[in-house]
Amino acid sequence: MTGHFPLPYNTLVVAGGMAAVGCAAGVVGCLGVLRRRSLAADAASHATLVGVALALAATGRRELPVLLAGGLLTAIGSLVVLVMLRRFTRTREDAATAIVLGVSFGLGITLLSGMTARGIPGSAGLEQFLLGQTAALTAADAMLLGCLSVAAVTLVWVGLKEVVLVAFDAPFAAASGWPVFAIDTALVALLAVMVVVGLPAAGAVLVTALLVIPPSAARQWTDRVATMLVLSGAFGLTAALVGVAISAAVPRLATGPVMVLAAAAIFAASFFLAPKRGLWARWRQQRELQQEWSGAGREQTQAPAKATGEGGPWTP
Amino acid sequence: MSRPQPDSSPHCLEFHDVTVAYGRRPVLWNIDLTVDGPGLFGIIGPNGAGKSTLLKAALGLVPLAGGSVQFFGQPLGAVRTRVGYVPQRETVDWDFPVSVFDVVLMGTYARLGWFRRPGPRERELARDCLLRVGLADVANRQIGRLSGGQQQRVFLARALAQQADLYFLDEPMAGVDARSQEQIFAVLSALRAAGKLIVVVHHDLRSASEWFDRVALVDMRLIATGPAAEVLTPENLQRTYAGPLDVLDELGRAVARRERTP
Repeated sequence: MTGHFPLPYNTLVVAGGMAAVGCAAGVVGCLGVLRRRSLAADAASHATLVGVALALAATGRRELPVLLAGGLLTAIGSLVVLVMLRRFTRTREDAATAIVLGVSFGLGITLLSGMTARGIPGSAGLEQFLLGQTAALTAADAMLLGCLSVAAVTLVWVGLKEVVLVAFDAPFAAASGWPVFAIDTALVALLAVMVVVGLPAAGAVLVTALLVIPPSAARQWTDRVATMLVLSGAFGLTAALVGVAISAAVPRLATGPVMVLAAAAIFAASFFLAPKRGLWARWRQQRELQQEWSGAGREQTQAPAKATGEGGPWTP
Repeated sequence: MSRPQPDSSPHCLEFHDVTVAYGRRPVLWNIDLTVDGPGLFGIIGPNGAGKSTLLKAALGLVPLAGGSVQFFGQPLGAVRTRVGYVPQRETVDWDFPVSVFDVVLMGTYARLGWFRRPGPRERELARDCLLRVGLADVANRQIGRLSGGQQQRVFLARALAQQADLYFLDEPMAGVDARSQEQIFAVLSALRAAGKLIVVVHHDLRSASEWFDRVALVDMRLIATGPAAEVLTPENLQRTYAGPLDVLDELGRAVARRERTP
């Protein structure tokens, strides 16, 4: 049946799966960005390597679901450590995040390289989890990742009202009876799952970029959460497909970096071109205002010269 | 308190021996306070006196080191939907991608419960609340593109959408233009006329006696409570603010004058 397609069946399935992963990363990432949990997700993603290595050592099976389950366990473990560090020591949030990220990543690299050096079966090529390599995926793996992505987007849709409420005004949410800590925990757990799902595509080091860059680009275009989710999903999907295509065409090119660069290109375009918030729009607005004010100045002699000084006219 | 209640109807708000500490540093000591509605009740005191903390302790946002707070004779958990809250404006990110209308709609979420989305009835209510605070014409604007006074009124509209019987407001007049202050005061007066109790943390002594029916003077401890004219005496203010402040002396004299010529 593959004869009908210009591309092999496996490549198509992998591309479809990764498109779903990129889209879900963009959607889930929006909530992480709005609730300011992106750095926690970054720490969790760096901690996945420990779990991947331990899962292989413990089971001896080099199967994607097994390795990712291990990665999810240590990702969540790192988040628990992060919460404890902040609660029981006086470490500030950014320092605590950096500590967890550095230590867990160091441990993961040590385990991986140690296992490769000792020639433990299946440990060769595990560095695909470092930078991402979609060419290594089977159709079944890609389908699993795609299904998990669909599930993650569904969960976002279900709990959107609650998460947006907490992200915008946590004290108000708590005062009106919402369990803020439980909602935050659910959100961070979902981020951890998304990090693990994106791991084969983008790798431990870069997967967070897929959770952060598309939402930041989407934010430039809109002032509504719903629109931001849709745009971010579309941007993530595009970046993922570009990454898959280019890394498939260029031998030995890791997928993660290409995906991130594609996302960055979208972000740069948004940053310059977006209406209202974009650099170009703001520059043009500024110029129109200046012309308007200087025109008014000529008509009314020199009176409004002072008024142009501070930020232009402002309507309450 | 000056107005005794029959035992059968519990007080709207009761603090029993409330003590709050941040770490080992106590910020509120043994607060015993009973407030009944309807009315506008002011919590007045200097910076760092623990006014906002008292409010947050009542709402369960900071843990009590001792004592208890009761609403309508019950713990907060049992009557959450009867309590509305307007936090300080600085607590949120005003660049957040939501519209004025979206924020007011958030006031209906607690009654909706888990996962249910606002329907036509909630939207109607939110529109009505925006109308009451005079912001119907900016309903679709992103919340960052409002003046400070308008932002404060958005928060007030969100609290109105909670349809509560008891409202807590944390410094609603701080950094707010005169027109918005008047509008906020008008909305609060209407709530009082509808039989609600409104508890307001307030820093400005000059306006306190004209806005509030009753006040509590707080400086880590409860200094005095009762009708505004009786509590805002030069002696009490001296005890609360403990320093020769011109404004206070002036206010004290003004209050004294008003007492002499009723």
